[in-house]
Amino acid sequence: MLSLKLAFKNLLGAGLRTWLNVLALSFAFVLIIFYNGMIDGWNRQAQRDTAAWETGEGQFWHPAYDKYDPFTIEDAHAPMSEDILKEVNNHTLAPVLVSQATAYPHGRAIGVTLRGIDPNQEVLELPSSKLPQSNRTDYAIIGKNMARSANLEAGDRLLLRWRDKNGTFDAREVEIAEVFRCDVPTVDNGQVYIAISTLQEMLAMENEATLLVAGEAFEMRELEGWDFKDNEFLLADLQQIIDSKKVGGSVLQGLLLIIALIAIFDTQVLSIFRRQKEIGTYIALGLTRAQVVGIFTLEGGAHSILAILLGSAYGIPLLLLLNRNGISMGYAEDMAFDIPLAEVIFPYYSLRLILITVLIVVITATIVSYLPARKISKMKPTDALKGKLQ
Amino acid sequence: MKNGTIISIDKLIKQFPVGKSKFTALNGLTLNIERGEFMGLVGPSGSGKTTLLNIIGSLDTPSMGTVTVLDQSISSLSHKQSSRLRNRHIGFIFQTYNLLPVYTVYENVEFALLLQKLSASARKKAVMDALEWVGLTDKIKSKPAMLSGGECQRVAIARSMVKRPDIVLADEPTANLDSKNSHHILQTMKKLNKELNTTFIFATHDEKVMQYLNRKVSLEDGQIVKDEVIENSKN
Repeated sequence: MLSLKLAFKNLLGAGLRTWLNVLALSFAFVLIIFYNGMIDGWNRQAQRDTAAWETGEGQFWHPAYDKYDPFTIEDAHAPMSEDILKEVNNHTLAPVLVSQATAYPHGRAIGVTLRGIDPNQEVLELPSSKLPQSNRTDYAIIGKNMARSANLEAGDRLLLRWRDKNGTFDAREVEIAEVFRCDVPTVDNGQVYIAISTLQEMLAMENEATLLVAGEAFEMRELEGWDFKDNEFLLADLQQIIDSKKVGGSVLQGLLLIIALIAIFDTQVLSIFRRQKEIGTYIALGLTRAQVVGIFTLEGGAHSILAILLGSAYGIPLLLLLNRNGISMGYAEDMAFDIPLAEVIFPYYSLRLILITVLIVVITATIVSYLPARKISKMKPTDALKGKLQ
Repeated sequence: MKNGTIISIDKLIKQFPVGKSKFTALNGLTLNIERGEFMGLVGPSGSGKTTLLNIIGSLDTPSMGTVTVLDQSISSLSHKQSSRLRNRHIGFIFQTYNLLPVYTVYENVEFALLLQKLSASARKKAVMDALEWVGLTDKIKSKPAMLSGGECQRVAIARSMVKRPDIVLADEPTANLDSKNSHHILQTMKKLNKELNTTFIFATHDEKVMQYLNRKVSLEDGQIVKDEVIENSKN
């Protein structure tokens, strides 16, 4: 307690030098929280959007289905039981039938995935209700990114060619009923959504589905003939990408922290060099060398406490403002990284993030303060009193 | 140790390494100092005055021989024990005052008491008493940079006396002071010596200091060349 009191007294007595170090360290402190809060906010938003648009509360897959292997799609379909159809009618399960096809927008060929979706489903945010029911025309909805890459817009007609379950090629024109906006690239890129009944008829797979998306109201249980995949599994790729972004960002944060810590280290070295007489006086007054090392270590470490206080003073209003208003990212036009990216990201600062950052800043500042302070324990008090270089 | 003897030095040798050879600062010195003495170690620069003070104050250790302070052998003390000896029983006054610049006068004086587990009120009383002895009660909130040299040295005296030590070691305490301030400070110390029976040991070659000494030990090349008791010193 005494050492802490003395350390703060000395630190504040050093004036501008202290505050420059504190300011640099507070930048590192606020930036670490901001960057990680940004990544966490992005992560939460990406997981939330992916769940809302694609994975729901989990999915039941046909046992042959593997989303990473397009060759499995052909065999991955099965009829839906009465039990499942009841859930579908209750809007607790949304069946999806998946097929590969070739689309010919404006005469050129592109590979697409056809997804049959129930226009009445309420499990996903996908605007399936925009698929009009018509005997004369088949309709499709596509994402904005798909529309951009295929140069399509609502009202355009698109020729599709596919193979039915017997291996027979067939083709048909559909009309783009709606171009929707979505942050989740896997829902948008190369995906064409049509009514599941239409796709079942096109593929000659009446009443069949490839996967079933569970909604919040679905009472979780096993469904015979279907494998359940929870969101931990379905969002694993996303988590991996976000984690890699975090590692990349930590390099920048580490550099900033190192710069601030070097400033403290430098100040400590200078301080011990310049204050030898003071060190000798402490020892003459009866402090043990360990106590003097403690004072100087705490003095350096106390930079971090002041940095946290200063960082809080300007960081809390700033971070709260960003948290409330979000940070505009613009619309991710090309969705090149396959990561859901909302137009506005709301940083999320968890208590864990703040505590870990506080600990990192305090511990590292104390360590870099201790390293030069160790020299005191080897000083001869008589030389220190004279201010002799040691 | 004789009755009343507070410091006993026997055949003390202190050597410092200088390159590959050794410099002998104290060479077989033997000396006893009684409680309540107001004595000085006098001699030219390099005669070993400060070295002897440092060893008595347990800031340094003998190379050979024994130094016993308050029944404790300096050579056998651990770091912790020597710190405790300094904190409880020995006060230091330095030529350059060595006040802590970021502390006020009050805090500088109080510092010596912080290691002793005294209540805040007991500390405050002791600090105010000490500042009253040196006539600085009106400067308690000033920082050392705002004080004159004489005032700084008076703060240093108050700091050394606040814990009521058995021994005060003063190394050239008047070297940076003018004549008037030197006499003022010496009178203050003499008064405290009489009132509190504190043993004062000076290392000096200042004639003004010598006028106040009751005993003068002259050193030359690390040896005692003269040890005289002065009957008619200034009060």
